[in-house]
Formats: sequence, C-alpha cells, structure tokens
Amino acid sequence: MLKYIVQRLIAAVPTLLGVAIVVFMMLRMLPGDPARTIAGAQAGEADVEMIRHSLGLDQPVGTQFVTFITRLAHLDLGQSARSSQPVGQEVMARLPYTVELALVAIVLATAIGVIAGVIAATHHNSRVDYLVSAASLFGVSMPVYWLGLMLIVVFAINLQWFPAAGADQPLSFVLPSFTLASFVVGLIARMTRSSMLEVLRQDYVQTARSKGLHERVVLYVHALRNALLPVVTIVGLQFGTLLGGAVLTETVFGWPGIGQLLVDSIFARDYPVVQGITLTFSSLFILVNLAVDVLYAYVDPRIHYGS
Amino acid sequence: MDERDNPVAEAAHRLNRRSFLKAALGAGGVVLLAACAPSNAPSPTTAPAKGASAPAAVATQSSAGAPTAAPAAGAAAPAKVGTETLRIAIGVDPDSLDPVGQTTTTIQNIVDYMCEPLVSLGEDSKIHPCLAESWVMAPDGKSYTFKLRQGVTFHDGAPFNADAVKLSWDRVLNKDMKVPLRSPMDVVESVTAVDASSVKFTLKNIFPPFISALAVTPYNIVSPNLAKSNPATYNDQPVGTGPYVYKSRTKGSELVLTRNEKYWGKLPYYQTVQFKIVPEAATRESLVLANQAEIIISPPMSDIPKLLSNSQVKVLLAPSNRTIFMAFDVSRSTPVKEKKFRQALNYAVDKEGIIKTILYGAGDVMDAPLSPMLFGYSKVGAYAYDPAKAKQMIKEGGWEGTKLKMYYSTGRYVGDAAFAQAIIGNFKDVGIECEGSTMDWPTYQATAITTAEKSTADLHVLGWAPGFLDAAQAMVQFQKSNWPPAGLSSSHYTNPEVEDLLDKAIKNTNEQERAQQYAAANKIVMDDAPWLFLWVQKFPIIYSAKIKGVGSIPNEKFSCIYAEPV
Repeated sequence: MLKYIVQRLIAAVPTLLGVAIVVFMMLRMLPGDPARTIAGAQAGEADVEMIRHSLGLDQPVGTQFVTFITRLAHLDLGQSARSSQPVGQEVMARLPYTVELALVAIVLATAIGVIAGVIAATHHNSRVDYLVSAASLFGVSMPVYWLGLMLIVVFAINLQWFPAAGADQPLSFVLPSFTLASFVVGLIARMTRSSMLEVLRQDYVQTARSKGLHERVVLYVHALRNALLPVVTIVGLQFGTLLGGAVLTETVFGWPGIGQLLVDSIFARDYPVVQGITLTFSSLFILVNLAVDVLYAYVDPRIHYGS
Repeated sequence: MDERDNPVAEAAHRLNRRSFLKAALGAGGVVLLAACAPSNAPSPTTAPAKGASAPAAVATQSSAGAPTAAPAAGAAAPAKVGTETLRIAIGVDPDSLDPVGQTTTTIQNIVDYMCEPLVSLGEDSKIHPCLAESWVMAPDGKSYTFKLRQGVTFHDGAPFNADAVKLSWDRVLNKDMKVPLRSPMDVVESVTAVDASSVKFTLKNIFPPFISALAVTPYNIVSPNLAKSNPATYNDQPVGTGPYVYKSRTKGSELVLTRNEKYWGKLPYYQTVQFKIVPEAATRESLVLANQAEIIISPPMSDIPKLLSNSQVKVLLAPSNRTIFMAFDVSRSTPVKEKKFRQALNYAVDKEGIIKTILYGAGDVMDAPLSPMLFGYSKVGAYAYDPAKAKQMIKEGGWEGTKLKMYYSTGRYVGDAAFAQAIIGNFKDVGIECEGSTMDWPTYQATAITTAEKSTADLHVLGWAPGFLDAAQAMVQFQKSNWPPAGLSSSHYTNPEVEDLLDKAIKNTNEQERAQQYAAANKIVMDDAPWLFLWVQKFPIIYSAKIKGVGSIPNEKFSCIYAEPV
C-alpha cells in the first residue's frame, strides 16, 4: 500500500508540471494588458511601463517561462502583481476559509444525502421516494446564486438569525455552507438511492433477511456498506471540486475563499496569483483523489493495490 | 418483484405521484410566498456583476477628506464620542493600503481615514486646508510654499513637520517606487523644507491645477519612520495623521480601524470602523436591510425606487465627476467621421428615458463634455432627444442604412450592457443598424482603447472620472497628445482650435481667463460631437435611518468620518 501511495505521488509531479504549463500559456494568450489593468485607467504611460517591468512582462515569453519554472522548482510561486505580497501568503490567507466551507458542506451533504438516499431506496416508488428525487433535482438545478440570495432574504433580513455576508461572526458559515451543500446533497442522495436499489436486489441481502437478521442490520451493516463505493467516489470528487473554491457562493456571501480570489485575479490579470491558485488546487485535487482511492481499499476488501 | 405487474399497486402508484406533485406545488408556493412577502426583499441583480469589475462607481473611491468643520472647531466644542462600531460595506478588496499604491477610489476612500493630504477635497467640491494651513504661489507660478499645521503627530508618535513631508514626498517621487498615479506630479522638480513648518514645492513649469491635483490620496503624508523603512516598497499598515488607525485586516473579508484618540482635529463619534468586503451588490443591500451594516455603496440600481420608499434606510444619490459616454472613433471610414452624422446620433438617443428606466434616476444628462463638479465646466446645452431631426440629418447626409459596430463593457459602468442595447434600439429607430459586442474589462480596455490602425469598432462605451476636479484632467480626452497608447483618448479626435485653447489654459495662472478658455473649448467640443454624450453618473450611498452625518465627496467617495447615531 505504501509503495502504491508513493508511486501515485511521484506520478503527480508530471501532472502538476503539465497544469503549470497549460495555465502559463493560457494566461498569456488572454487579450488585455496586465500592467495597464493593474495600474488603472488614470496611470501615466511611464508608470504602466514600470509595472510591466516589475512583473517581468516586458521580457520574451520564453524567458518568462524559464523564470517561472525555475522559481517553481524552488517552490516559489512569485508575488501577486496587485499587492506585491508572496502568492503563497495570499493563497494561505484564503485557503482555510475555503476548506472550512467545503468541509461543512460535504459533511452536511453526505449526512443528509446518504440518509435520504437510503430512505428513498427502501421506500422505492412511494411518496417519500418521489420527494427525495424532487428535492435532489431541486438541489442540483437551482442556481446557487439565486438560492443564496433567497436564503439571505429569509434568514438574514426577515428572521435575522444569521449574518448575510462575511466570515467574521461565529454563525457566518451557516448560510454559505447550506447553499453550497444544496448541489452536492442532490448528487449524493441520487447516487445512494440507485446504488442501494442495486444492492438490495442482490442475493446476499435475501440471505441475510432469511437468516432472521433485524432489517436495520441488513440495511446498514450489509447493504449500505456495499452500496457506498460509488458514493465515496462522488463525495471525494465533490470535496476536491469544492476545494477549488465555490466561486458563486463565495461571491454572494462575501466569503473570503480562494475561488473568489481566483476570479478576481483573472479579471485583474494577476498572473502569478492565478498560476499559484491553479497549482494549489490541482495539488489538493490530486491528494484528495489519492485519499479516496486509499479509502476504497478499506471500504471494499476486494480491492488490493500493489502486487 | 416488479410493481408494474400489479394493477392495484400501479393505481396506488399513480395516486401517489399525483398527490405528490400537488404537495410539491403547494410547498413551492409556500416558499415563494415566504420569500416574496416582506416588503423590503431585495431583487437579485439581472446580470451577476463580478466583484472586481464592479461598476466603476464602486471602483472610484475618494479619500474621506476632512470636512470643513474639522480643523477650526477642534478645540471649541467637546466632540461627542461613543464606543460603537460603524460598519460600511464596499465591493472591492484593497490590493494595497499604501497611499502611493492607490488606483481605485473606494480604497482611496479607506486610506484617507488613516493618512491625510496637505490639502483636501471637500464635500462642496472645493479645496480645503488639511495638513497645510495655508499656501502661497510664487509670482512666476513655478513654486508653491505651504505653511504646515502645528501640533500634529503621526500614529507612531513621530512629529509632523516639514522634514516628514519631504520624506513622504521623496517616496512618492522615487523612481524605484511603483506609483500608478504619479504622472500629474511629474511636474514637481523638488520638495524642500524651508523651515520646520514650511515646505516648498518647485515645479518644472507652470501648472495651474497643481493645488487641485495635490488633494489626491496617493500623495497623502505618511510617517517618516514608514518612509525610511519602506522607501521603495509598499507598507500595508499605513501610518499617518488621520482620525483612524489601522487595527486589523482579513483579506477578502474585512478591514478594521480604530479611532485615533490623539487626532489633531475633531474626534469622530465611532470608536471602530469595520469595512466589510462584499462583492455582490444584492448582498451589500441585504446587509443594510438586515441591520448588519450601517452604510453601503452601490446597491443594485433596480432596487433604488424600493429603497427610496423604505423608511428604514436613506438613499443618497451623490453627484460625481464621472461622465458616461460612447466615444466615436473619428478615424474610421464609416460616416462616424462626419460631424453631422455624430450630431444626428446624439439627437437619436433618448437619454432621459434611459436614465429613468435603466439607471433608475442615478444620472444627469450631460450638457457639457465634463461633469459640473469640475473647475472649467460651463453649461453648453445637451442634445435633446429628437429622432425626427436625427432622421432628417441622416437623410440629408445620405447615410441611411449605415451599419455600425459598437463595443460595450459589462458590469464596469452602471447598466452598461443594458443601456448599450437601448441605444442600439434608438439607432434602429432612425434607420441605423448597429451591431454590439462585449468582453471582460481588461480585454475591453485593450480592444476598444487602441490606435487608429488597430481600431475595430465605430463607437464604444466609456466612463471617465478625472483624478482631480479640474478641466485639465477631463479635456485631455480631446487632445491628440493623449491618443492611445500614450493615453485614453480613444476617439482619435483633434481640433486645432480646441488644442490651442487647451494649450493656453494649461499655462494660464489667471483663473478667470482659464475658465473662459475652457468654456470656449467646451462649446466647440460639444458641437464637434466626438462622443455620444450620455450622462453624469450619480454615486448611490445607502445608509441606515438610525445614523446621520453621511455625505459624499464629488469624486465618488463617501464622507462619513463624522457620522453618528441620530
């Protein structure tokens, strides 16, 4: 197992390098002058030139790339073009907020989604089943943007229970994580439901029942355990995606995560920050996927890594 | 095991589905009612405006210049002070808090709480003494001597004197320091300390708007200790002489300042000011409605009417220096190169109608090429909405059926995408086909503001808020020396008469003559119509009815240092 993990980590390096190259090239293909964008409309040409020089953008693209890769080899992500602070610092200042939101949303979504999915599967084609399916559809299709604002109207303005925006109050995370969870809970509920339906058809479930086991044991110890594999995949992938920053949710709630920083930086043509965040996100995503794969081996004894 | 084999079960099935659907509709209806019922629910913006490219109304921030009351009244009446926190919601996160690094007006607005200029721009759009008590211009107009205020100290205890001013200015003029807004001060030859309380600015040539240009945040005075420790780099915890001191910051979320108890002027009421960073306009609005912020700027425009009738909040549509227009590229081969055609299009646009329906009243039709807030403004007269006249002029010129290309920004200026479409509609009504396209702001800047050779559109949307309130800064848009890439005069317009008047005005120290020269230039430019003159944008500030003392400075800044509970 350890050998497998190490192999995967080593294989991650060329992947990250590929990401770095693609992002580097794509940024430079974007129209628009970063120096002028950062300096603003009122800046004089000389000052724009100075900013361009300080960002290294007056050098040929090849040289820029070599500088970028050399810095990367020393794990130096450069400085933000806008604030002149180290990119690593900018990212680290925001990452905990994104992680907090992603964690709460995933835990919430998994708890509710799995239970809803199990109930729907065991009461197949009943009212409850349709309710769960409809709610899942609602969660997946409702624009996060609209849902967030509606939650603000109801819970912040009318009921005054929660803060509408920001991350400075203890209850600030509630509305944003609920909004974020709405999409994932739908996915998890549907996946659990269909996976459970599959499993409940299996012979061993019938065997367990005829052995006289209590229905709850049959469901949760035998059936669910086997139905969880695909659900684990989804939870893992979604968690990885959420770590990339849920931009819309963060924007609506003024939540200082890296998703918002990424979009702001793209609009401001802050290349180093965009590169830094993409690489951070890719690394996190790779690690989360690896963790999910390792988790498989524990959830399903049939899966065996290595020889 | 398939329920479909069992007809009874199937019927029960169908009933279940039907009754379920009814229940779902009922539930949905209840939710909608709950959400719509309260009278002050904000409506979501139609175009999700991105934080960073938020309407330039947000982007422009002015320093909260010390209102006229502050300096003299300092000792007279004891200021009423409290311990509460004032919460202000804005839409952009500061890149840097260092005065020299400033570009966005909203951030400048914040920096002004901590660092002050020698002279400041007041709510009345006039220049007032701030850290300088008085000043004198030399007879030859090439130097200014300032008498500094006594008894002022920086937040770190350093004394405010001529040496401090000189050190702070050395930093601004340091070639190794990145100062995006340095160029107006390129005219400064040197800054010298005449004695402990006088500073002399020597200029390379006469520059009549010098005092006006000085009242801008990038030139605010910082502590000599900061100037020594950061001669060529930004310091994001600025140390100045202002009424508030930097306390803490969570990037992307908030910025907290506390009252400077040793401030030289009148002490503000609020002990703490918390700036909340909320990029989404609708969410900002919900903060003030939910009593989670006292002051917000730039709510969704469509909510202005509702806010006006809401007794819990007050709406201030502040006059500003920002003109919104469409620049014609007069170098193109289409009829936009003809003055009469451009005038016709000016008559074709229903500006009042657009202001009413798209801006919800947050604009005043332009009656001159610059905002009334500027020195050098003179009323020329707006182009009335007269589609019949427009059609007539187009017919006389033989321009029916002309096809034009337009660029417009989205989310940069208030209602930009919407009013561009409205204008295309107005053009159609007079027989001109116009195709519009949009892109994100940096791409827009690079594509629309370009040289005559690279230009690909006949007209494009732009807004212009001059850094200081002087016609010199506004009329650059009509000078050849400011054509891209040197500047932003993207209409590629030039008129020898106008150039002559502007050249004379920039060297004229006689204010009356200068004003007359600008008045003459305004008239010619308005007639030449290098722009589709639209309106002067208003800057919306919404605040709780429980506080008072909230004002504005006409360069899109809020002025609420002296806000207090009612």
